[in-house]
Amino acid sequence: MNLAKKLSNQQENIKQPAAKDISQYFDFSRKSSTVVILIAILVVIGYFIWWLNIPFIEDIFTAGTITLIMTLGFQLFMGNSGILNWSYVGYVGIGAFASAIFSMTPAVKTMQIPTMYPFLINLHLPFPVALLAGALVAMTVAAIIAWPLMRLSDAVGAITQFALLIVINVMLSQWSQVTNGPRTFTLGGKRLTTLWVALGVAVLVIIAVYYFKESSLGLKLRATRDDRYAARSSGINFVAVRYCAYVASAFIGGLAGGLYSHYILSITAASFYMSELFMILSMVVIGGSMSVSGAFFGTLLVTLLRQFLRQVELFLTRSGFEASGSTEIVVAVLMIIFLIWQADGITGGRELSWRSIKRRLPSGSKKRNKVLKNKKQEEKA
Amino acid sequence: MNNNTILQVSDLYVAYGSIQALHGVCMEVHKGELVSICGVNGAGKSTVLKAIAGVLKPRSGSIRFKGKEVAGSKPEQLHKMGMALVPEGRDIFPSLTVEENLRIGAFGRRLDKSYAADLEDLFSLFPILKERYHQAGGLLSGGEQQMLAIARGLISNPDLLMLDEPSLGLSPALVDQIFELIIELKSRNITILLVEQNAQRALGIADRAYLFSNGRIEYSGRPQELMDNVDITSVYLGGQNGGDV
Amino acid sequence: MNAQILLEFAINVLSMGSLYALISLGLVFVFGICKLVNYAYGEFITVSAYVLYFLGVFTGLPWLLVFLFGILAGVAVGFFSELVAFRPFRERSLDALLVTSFAVSVILQRLFQLGISPRSKAVPVPAFFNMNIQILGVITPLRNLLIIGTTVVLLTVLVLIMKYTTLGVAMRGASENFVTARLMGVPANLMISVAFIISGFLAGVVAIFWSARTGSVEPMMGGTPLLIGFIAVVIGGMHSLPGSVVGGYVYAFISNVLSLTLPSSLLSFRDAFMFAIVIAFLVLKPEGLLRGNYQEERVG
Ligand SMILES: Nc1ncnc2c1ncn2[C@@H]1O[C@H](COP(=O)(O)OP(=O)(O)OP(=O)(O)O)[C@@H](O)[C@H]1O
Ligand SMILES: [Mg+2]
Repeated sequence: MNLAKKLSNQQENIKQPAAKDISQYFDFSRKSSTVVILIAILVVIGYFIWWLNIPFIEDIFTAGTITLIMTLGFQLFMGNSGILNWSYVGYVGIGAFASAIFSMTPAVKTMQIPTMYPFLINLHLPFPVALLAGALVAMTVAAIIAWPLMRLSDAVGAITQFALLIVINVMLSQWSQVTNGPRTFTLGGKRLTTLWVALGVAVLVIIAVYYFKESSLGLKLRATRDDRYAARSSGINFVAVRYCAYVASAFIGGLAGGLYSHYILSITAASFYMSELFMILSMVVIGGSMSVSGAFFGTLLVTLLRQFLRQVELFLTRSGFEASGSTEIVVAVLMIIFLIWQADGITGGRELSWRSIKRRLPSGSKKRNKVLKNKKQEEKA
Repeated sequence: MNNNTILQVSDLYVAYGSIQALHGVCMEVHKGELVSICGVNGAGKSTVLKAIAGVLKPRSGSIRFKGKEVAGSKPEQLHKMGMALVPEGRDIFPSLTVEENLRIGAFGRRLDKSYAADLEDLFSLFPILKERYHQAGGLLSGGEQQMLAIARGLISNPDLLMLDEPSLGLSPALVDQIFELIIELKSRNITILLVEQNAQRALGIADRAYLFSNGRIEYSGRPQELMDNVDITSVYLGGQNGGDV
Repeated sequence: MNAQILLEFAINVLSMGSLYALISLGLVFVFGICKLVNYAYGEFITVSAYVLYFLGVFTGLPWLLVFLFGILAGVAVGFFSELVAFRPFRERSLDALLVTSFAVSVILQRLFQLGISPRSKAVPVPAFFNMNIQILGVITPLRNLLIIGTTVVLLTVLVLIMKYTTLGVAMRGASENFVTARLMGVPANLMISVAFIISGFLAGVVAIFWSARTGSVEPMMGGTPLLIGFIAVVIGGMHSLPGSVVGGYVYAFISNVLSLTLPSSLLSFRDAFMFAIVIAFLVLKPEGLLRGNYQEERVG
């Protein structure tokens, strides 16, 4: 080995730790950059829309953000366990009704829902507490029923969850003393879920869902998804990890439900049934069910698409064509197309991260090429 | 490849998801031959049979059956061309009767006189099946189920019969019976590809043998040479016991 | 007097149960072969009902032909939906299939809304269907007896086919072990197509009696029979054709008993009770009343 080469090697050695230091400094760019990027996108869009100050667009954003929270909660269970949770919108509904009941004043309740149990009428909590309490109710319901259901997989599991959704739906639509039965449940008062409230909760939920995925619990759960037998033989308790994720997912669903009811201000049990489930499912499938980024971008994409299609629908209807419902058809067809050709969604099941962006950027790829070239030359030498 | 070759596998790669199970397997079977495949658990013996029978799609490589390239074909097409696989663990249809099991084995055949004749012929080989003709397959004993599985493979008059561990889990007496049966089939000039754990006995009756290890062929040739090579025997065949051939 | 009530109850259970048995049988045929819980099955029924409506209202075809075309429509939608939507997923995960069937169901519902009308349409029913007849002092519409008779005939024919034809035997084999059946030369595509065709056929028959009972058809009408089918299938056992028939009758029995015994304040919760029973069944006895010879994957 000649001296020159030795020297250059030494130089490399000196350089390398420095480079490493910087990357360590940005280590969060490897693990946490996903969260930062997603939140940044959301906040920037939110701020821009707030600045625009067009109520119509603000509404779309707020509703979209609430939907985002729903899909994130759905993804938390489905993405990590690989199991479709058909009952999820039921928990959203429970959270929606429960938090509304907690936050409404007794006076409004007596007026709106005269059939309500007296002890519920007198209950009154401030909005943020009511929101949390509603989510806790949804979570508690899940915690009580879910344990024996977590053992079931495949077809039996799917039908059980489906049956559970129907039970919840019947309860919500028939329990007049709590939910006003099949009639519309009107909250009264003004809209408490503002753009910033929805945005704030969404930020927290993105963080929670992402770190759940990266936690040891999430890791175990994903191990059971990828190979349940291997995971079991390595000592993971299936039922327990699934159960935790299911209950956590119900909590987030309940939270989203509470935000929803305080945004829309009048709800019925039918607002938390098949078509909502379908909407959430389409977002997660199109975005990519395996990653948080998938739920995020799926929501973004499908929300935009739906808004666009809705406008087309309106236009067509105004010009004399019956077009209501065509939005769902387009989304459903898109979903099937994705399932056939791109089952992992637009994100391919991966997380968006600093690195993945850098790789895409032209300058980044040039640099990489250069490095590669250098390496090759070294090898030759 | 001469026109006596009924099956030729070359450079076959098969994987289960990310797990590579076969790494470039080459083998061939000639008409009327009894070829045996040996190897320890997990060597890839069942995998190669499943790939030949069309249950698994190869990553790459070629499988020629009766002169035609068949890699990637569907199992039902291959069956029609004259292949029959008696799967590991028998896999008979438990709630179907013996009659019905055989009838599925003869799928695509007309149930005419020649079928009846073949059936009679099978009954001479497996008298027990005649007795149990109307009984549900799941109620048969392990040995009887194996007989049924083999009979179900034979009823289509295959040009190549593949047996995956036919003696697995059977009592010594039944193992004897199965091997006698295989010898009888061989004397009827049926081409057989036999996978066996009971290597000593399989090698005893085979014309040629392949030794699998970790998804590769470690050795191929005359069974006698294989058995003479003590090293191989002790390493791969666990040959200390059952050396009665 | 008491005997009369009993007879009335029996007729109710048997006629409802017959309908439910056909519904769940249509689900299980597909489930047995592809292991797919077909959410779009309800829409097969809706398609048939719409054909009954159109032919009944806009043509002067004799009833028998109207029924025949209604059933053919069910067969066609079963066959083509499999070809277009399910076949590309054959090798994919069950969840992908499940989600697809859900999407197909949504697409069909919206197509009815768009192409026909979101409101319900009255389906003409032959007069003799609703003719009341008297048996031993119990008055019941003729259609209740017709469905019982139809079901008996259909079940007999199906049993004969499944038992004595090569195709039927192969279908039973394929639903026990699909791969082995293919190894024996049974073509996968044929089996799956036949399963969907039978499923569509049964949906067509169900549509006749369902729309005769409700008198109307609307885009979302498939939901209720689908749920009934789910319950019946779960009670009877997902892997057994006879089980699904038994499940249909058991469901009709439980549902009638609940209707009679639940206090009126709780009657609106009947469905919740039914599904709670289903969940309990699935948790305690995932294989159903009659278990087939297929081991359901169960983890934990
Ligand atoms: N369904 C599967 N999924 C993943 N890996 C598999 C599967 N089946 C087999 N393998 C792996 O492929 C390799 C070969 O398996 P194969 O069943 O062919 O072995 P074998 O030689 O037949 O063994 P045995 O004597 O036990 O039957 C093994 O390492 C096994 O773990
Ligand atoms: Mg094997």
